[in-house]
Amino acid sequence: MKSESEIIDVKTLPFTANFIWATGFMMQRFIEELASRKILGVKCPGCGYTYVPPRSRCGKCYAKIEEENLVTLSGKGTLVSYTTGHVALDGQGNFIDLQEPAIIGAIKLEDADSTIFMPIEGIEPRDVVEGLKVELQWREETKGELEDIRCFKPA
Amino acid sequence: MGFIKDERPQTICVEGTWSLSSYHYKGSKLLEQYVKGLKQKKLIGSFCPGCAKVILPPRNLCGRCHRIMDGRKTVSDRGTITCYTVSPAITKGKLKVLGMDPVETGLIKDGEILIPVFVRFDGSDSNTDTILLNAEPKAVHIGMRVKVIWAKEPQGALSDFEGVEPI
Amino acid sequence: MKRNAAIIGCGQTKHSSKRRDVNVAEMVSEAVYNALEDAQVSMREVDAFIVGNMPGFGGIAQPEQWLGDWIGAAGKPVIRIATGGTTGGSVGQGAYYPVASGLHDVVVAVAWEKHSDSKEAGATSGLLHVGLGNLFHAASYGLNLKNLMAMSMVGAAAGVAVYQAVFYMHRSGCTIEHFDMVAAKARRNAARNKYAHLQWPGCTPEDIAETELLAYPFRYGHICPASDGASAIVVAEENLARKKARRPAWYKGLASYSDEENQLQSENFGGVGVLDPSEQRGCWVSAMKAYAMAGIKDPQKEIDMAELYQPFPSQELIFAERLGLFDEGTAWMALEKGETDINGRMPLDPSGGVNATNAIGSSAMQRILECALQIMGKAEEHQVPKKVSNAVAHGWGGVTNYSTVTVLGDSPGR
Repeated sequence: MKSESEIIDVKTLPFTANFIWATGFMMQRFIEELASRKILGVKCPGCGYTYVPPRSRCGKCYAKIEEENLVTLSGKGTLVSYTTGHVALDGQGNFIDLQEPAIIGAIKLEDADSTIFMPIEGIEPRDVVEGLKVELQWREETKGELEDIRCFKPA
Repeated sequence: MGFIKDERPQTICVEGTWSLSSYHYKGSKLLEQYVKGLKQKKLIGSFCPGCAKVILPPRNLCGRCHRIMDGRKTVSDRGTITCYTVSPAITKGKLKVLGMDPVETGLIKDGEILIPVFVRFDGSDSNTDTILLNAEPKAVHIGMRVKVIWAKEPQGALSDFEGVEPI
Repeated sequence: MKRNAAIIGCGQTKHSSKRRDVNVAEMVSEAVYNALEDAQVSMREVDAFIVGNMPGFGGIAQPEQWLGDWIGAAGKPVIRIATGGTTGGSVGQGAYYPVASGLHDVVVAVAWEKHSDSKEAGATSGLLHVGLGNLFHAASYGLNLKNLMAMSMVGAAAGVAVYQAVFYMHRSGCTIEHFDMVAAKARRNAARNKYAHLQWPGCTPEDIAETELLAYPFRYGHICPASDGASAIVVAEENLARKKARRPAWYKGLASYSDEENQLQSENFGGVGVLDPSEQRGCWVSAMKAYAMAGIKDPQKEIDMAELYQPFPSQELIFAERLGLFDEGTAWMALEKGETDINGRMPLDPSGGVNATNAIGSSAMQRILECALQIMGKAEEHQVPKKVSNAVAHGWGGVTNYSTVTVLGDSPGR
């Protein structure tokens, strides 16, 4: 019986599931305003915590956040944490080696309380330090898409 | 009157994919012995030493008394329909399986009606899920006697068992 | 010593096929804050959260990690439960345990589904993930492609529910016309429930009978929709429950039992030992255990209404019998006599049920929520006209073998 309970590899057939995640009204405003090179956040009317990207409910004081609470932030900020990646995922369960290491930073924009995670370019990995002043880099033509934000570079 | 409609604004979407074939699935070798039996035009099920059930195709563990089903028993290739359903006429564009249109690929004739059935083969205690061929959709009924249609030259694959037909 | 626990507030979102105006976190928080408002409980009073949706549906692997602070759960315990179709039932029962045990005083349970975030039919990528391994396994042993097509045809129409319905028809004498009646009732009832999805005021069995046959015995008009929506309940211990709610809905009995899987094929494409998939032994055992805990001896007399998990109309009849609300094989006769209507002797799914609204992860939770609304007298347009002292909520799922049964009442019982 031993041979029958042996475990074998099962050959797979191709199947990929596709998703279209709705972003909601606040995130839509954020994405749309990228076209005019603006970064939108919200200042919670209850506790004053400033979120970027904007959202409609405060996770700190539970207040409802409305459109009138939207604020415009500068593209300047401070690196609060970072990591360096040497491999990426190919979406098929495999790793790909990166030719150049990629730096991902947690950035706190001026006047914001939350952080955003973005690629950091224009600096050698060994030179990156917490507290580094960074600035947002737009792609050449902004269209109101998340890809409008290309990366951050040292200011 | 009809349905009350609920229309809401559409917000921007972010698209993504999830490749389900990138997983590494594992299986047992239980089917290997089963398909070897099919090659000899035999239906071999697993026999439970606890409750004497014969399950087809074989499985490792009895679902009711949880014993290892290490016995084997050959059952008849004749049995009784215990349940059925009848499809509407399957035309081009009606059905898509793993991105394939079975009419376009010639697996199903344009306008063909499929009759998926459960068959309890004589000597077994499980329903086998298959299709009824060479029968009029109107004639199918619970209790109908059927037999296996074997492939002309069995290869030792699940496809050796092509379906069932009325006796 | 277990403590008494009751539902003191309910919150839902409007259900529809496309909630593209909100993201998942926004949709779920809408239900949670609606429930808190209904319960007159502040977020600061909530001790813990039980959450759940179908694993993989909507393409977000761990949604609770995203929406934690959207539902006020930052800094509080969160447990996610995913038991397939019964998820909502398990989430609704999951909120009972920490309160009854004395660990927490106020727990919020929320369940949801957002089908429209998936491009695949019925958002079934999560299910396919489970089923695919089996299918791939069979394919590597040369599964006959025509057989595969036939199985897919049944799967696309209604999965094993087709076979379950044929078994039930054969042994009870019920006909396809009875399924038309159940589906029409579900759409009419839903029209009185402002949160429901498929609302069709005055829908008749003839309207349903005109729809296309998908796979015998199911017509297009029999099938549940794929809905976007969320539902939440606030569960509190006895002192708080009595202070906050005029008429709390007490948990009197609950149970969740599973049976041998009885979908088309078992693991590794093996056979299945359950000869009749409409037998649903897990539901029957769950009902017996839940009634015993609730002190209910004769459900036909003591239960006033029920909310059943019936994505397909045949299931309202099958499960009503499994829950002991009607004698074996007679639910369709009661249906004919109008006994299961909103104003009948034993109203079944006055909300329209899963057949009218199916946000899968939330569907079994909604059964508990709807029973609570009926006991609290808050069901508005679809409130049953009689006094509701005991109500039974049912959930069904897994590999068609898991069941949850929850008995709620207007007193804590024993």
